[in-house]
Amino acid sequence: METISHLLDGFAVAASPTNLLICLIGAFLGTVIGMLPGLGPINGVAILLPIAYAMKLPPESALILLVAVYSGCEFGGRISAILINVPGDAGAVMTTLDGYPMAKNGLAGPALSISAVASFTGAIIATIGIIAFAPILANWALAFGPAEYFALMVLALSCLGGLVGDSLLKAMVGVLIGLMISCVGIDSNSGVYRYTFDLIHLSDGIPFIVLVIGLFAVSELLLMLQGHHGGTKALDVTGRTMFNRKEFALTRWTMLRSSVVGFFVGVLPGAGASIASAMTYSMERRMAGKDHCFGEGDVRGVAAPEAANNASAYGSLIPMLTLGVPGSGTTAVLIGALTLYNITPGPTLFQEQPVIVWGLIASLAISSVMLVLMNIPLVRVFVKFLQIPNWLLVPGVAAISMVGVYAVHGTTFDLVVGTLLGGFGFLLRAMNFPMAPFILGFVLGDMMEQNLRRALSISNGELGILFASPISIGLWIAAIAMLLGPRLAKVIDARRKPPATA
Amino acid sequence: MSERIFGVFLLLLSAGGIFFGWDLKAPISYEPVGPRAFPLLVFALLAVCAVGLVVSKRPATEWAPSPVLLRVGGMFLVVLTYALLFDKLGFVVATTLMSIPLARFFGGSWKQSLVGGTSLGVVLFLLFDRLLDVVLPTGFWLKPLLG
Repeated sequence: METISHLLDGFAVAASPTNLLICLIGAFLGTVIGMLPGLGPINGVAILLPIAYAMKLPPESALILLVAVYSGCEFGGRISAILINVPGDAGAVMTTLDGYPMAKNGLAGPALSISAVASFTGAIIATIGIIAFAPILANWALAFGPAEYFALMVLALSCLGGLVGDSLLKAMVGVLIGLMISCVGIDSNSGVYRYTFDLIHLSDGIPFIVLVIGLFAVSELLLMLQGHHGGTKALDVTGRTMFNRKEFALTRWTMLRSSVVGFFVGVLPGAGASIASAMTYSMERRMAGKDHCFGEGDVRGVAAPEAANNASAYGSLIPMLTLGVPGSGTTAVLIGALTLYNITPGPTLFQEQPVIVWGLIASLAISSVMLVLMNIPLVRVFVKFLQIPNWLLVPGVAAISMVGVYAVHGTTFDLVVGTLLGGFGFLLRAMNFPMAPFILGFVLGDMMEQNLRRALSISNGELGILFASPISIGLWIAAIAMLLGPRLAKVIDARRKPPATA
Repeated sequence: MSERIFGVFLLLLSAGGIFFGWDLKAPISYEPVGPRAFPLLVFALLAVCAVGLVVSKRPATEWAPSPVLLRVGGMFLVVLTYALLFDKLGFVVATTLMSIPLARFFGGSWKQSLVGGTSLGVVLFLLFDRLLDVVLPTGFWLKPLLG
């Protein structure tokens, strides 16, 4: 029952007039950012984090803003998926399959409203899941020592490697570059300057915000130019905006099932929204049997990925809140937000910062309600934002990103480093290097090193401590299984089915 | 090919990292693992991966046609110049100067770019500096005017 009283405290924090207003603004901005093709939750959170910091918002309000933007993005991605056949963010890829055909059939309104309700269902089920599981997991994680932590972070990183498919090498390179950049600056244990090359600006290391803006704002804009080809015309929302009873009856169970699956997929580090929505889409398609029109505008094909998308986005907050180990790019940025406010993420967060944790959880629920209420009647207003031309949007985003970087230290040095990292990020992304491992490596680098050194200090340099406890052995085995499992399965698959072209 | 070149670059980078990291020693050591172990481990693993990138056979990256890449390069230089002049010229002027070429890159007409760029500079300055209390540079040329 302790949980309930904490939760009520959380609602008291999140429901203060200022925080409600911040939540509303965040939800609105998030929907717009999520809707714009090219900009997704990670860019939105990355761009707004420094601004929230510069506005001197207290930590809980800043997190509420970022979390509202995060959930807004998950709601917004579907709008462009349905109306212009371009997913607004990675999780909405599957929504285009049935959403756009529905819109072409003149059912844009019902597609948008049913997907809003699906998103809401996913969000609420995942919020309940967080409330139910997060405190238990955090309690359990309190028993982790430095050795277990080190193994856990190796697991988180190898999950990423295992799930990115065939480019394990590229994911590894990304992780290592991230870890490498995290080594720059004064070593906090010994005071030794590492790789600073006598540059005073590097003594604190490369600021998190500079890296994030470079990788996720500047490089994104460069990619947008590479992919730029005129404008795409959005379909009009004509006819009824609400779904009818039949459509709701058809998708009820789809939403619930997809939300639960999405939540659990989201909890796994490395998995995340795109995998969850793809999984539930094909699951629903299979369950529908013969009686369906998937691919040509089936409502279930819109409801399933959207419910899963939101549920997994919220689910991925669990490892971040309870273990302090992010499982996705966006939660890595949120961890960065916590550290910016000198809050140490980890299992102790629930005891030391109940206001922040429970305020954040409560604001998940509040922002979901706001979003569903905002998204259905105001959908025509949001569609207007799709008409912002890129020649205005791109310079605007570039300027706002620079404002964010400048707000931290006010130095030209940071701006230049951010831009150079943006160029570097563009090259990496053009060569299909995934960016999530990069940012995760950077965020986890310091924690990994500290835990490794702490563990070895306890054992006086004996490496055996890393594999001493049953928990850490389990984590190491899981890490190896995550790395090798998918590949082994592929090899076995290939053996069983002789290649057709041979 | 580009992966190979990048692999060679990473190999050189890790060699440099190991070279500069070798001498990282704490003056007084009170823990078994000093400041250099972790970076050396990371650079060593990076070197292994870099060799993997150089050796492995994989489908080559398809780069965009060169006029597109040239424009991306141009945009990068514009943003870099923006970063360099942000503080000196002040937010309003620097943003306007950056927005005009960027808007042109994204297909805005000259008129749209000029009007859009100038209004971005002014509107964002008012929004952040005046309304949201995020202090922005006014630039060396405005300081004497404002006193």
